Amino acid sequence: MSLENLLKIGQLKKHPPDAREIQRLVAAAGRNLADARVTSISPETRFDAAYKAIMQSALAALMACGYRPDTDRPGHHMTVIQSLPLTIRLAGTRVTVLDTLRRKRNISDYTGEEMDDVSMESCIVEAERLLNDVKTWLKAERPDLYGADT
Amino acid sequence: MRAKKHSRDPRLVEVLFGTYRRRILSLLLLHPEEDFYVREIGRLTGVPAGSLHRELKLLSEAGLLRRAAAGNQVRYQVDRDCPIHAELAGIFRKTAGLADVLREAMAPLAGKIFVAFVFGSVAEGKERAGSDVDVMAIGSASFGAVVEALSRTREELRREVNPVAMTRSAFQSKYRDQDRFVSRVAREPKIFLIGGASELGKLTEDRAA
Repeated sequence: MSLENLLKIGQLKKHPPDAREIQRLVAAAGRNLADARVTSISPETRFDAAYKAIMQSALAALMACGYRPDTDRPGHHMTVIQSLPLTIRLAGTRVTVLDTLRRKRNISDYTGEEMDDVSMESCIVEAERLLNDVKTWLKAERPDLYGADT
Repeated sequence: MRAKKHSRDPRLVEVLFGTYRRRILSLLLLHPEEDFYVREIGRLTGVPAGSLHRELKLLSEAGLLRRAAAGNQVRYQVDRDCPIHAELAGIFRKTAGLADVLREAMAPLAGKIFVAFVFGSVAEGKERAGSDVDVMAIGSASFGAVVEALSRTREELRREVNPVAMTRSAFQSKYRDQDRFVSRVAREPKIFLIGGASELGKLTEDRAA
């Protein structure tokens, strides 16, 4: 599946890259990651903040490529995660882990089940790695959108 | 090498049921909320058409399966009102249908896992159509490694697997601190995949009453 194919089947929409928008997303991902490290709140909320950082990082990369997900469609979180090998060339094993974290969030949100600390900590580690990968990729591939001085 | 302890289990279920019957029962018993077209069952189990029709006829006549004709299509679903349904589903959950698939997938990590088990709704036999299989792996295997090992089972199980990885010391200290999640997992029914109740007991024995 290519980004072009995801566009054809309606999962993605064209979205002209906007430097300010992308920088705002990357900055928001950083703030969410910082929030996820606050230990006085529940593992569920910490997990949510880290997960949000993952979504925003992946979305920033997708927008830099000229696309956004169709948020009216169910499963757009899955689409955003599955776009990562096509945008920043993320390895398949990392995508599998991120997709597992996505399902954990669904289960926790919709069943009220407790989040275990280890899954929450894994989510923070993955969020940090992904945010760094996206920043590195943006600086190398699209310095016009996210310069070295950003 | 601990995983070898379970290598006799597949033979156990093989003694009880022939290959075709085992595959059909495994699919239907572990997806009790789904009904399947005959052709679908054939595709998912690889049982040839002649044997498939014979098996389905026998199993529905015996009251294990429910048969529903819709137009010229026939659908089969497990009959939960069958008096031995729960016991039979338990046998398949603990052997060929579920646990063996997970055991095989985790075998490469056996040296790094002290004890692993299925918990949650599937272990309790209360799974619903979209339920994930909750798997706890206690040992030095990383979350990423466990996710990767189990990711290949999704198609065969027709269920998502939701792994939790913990070190022995993390599990022990959380148990001692009466962490909600770990306490619940320790208390609830389990299907052991690597190690067993005695290994888990070593992690939970010293909590002050």
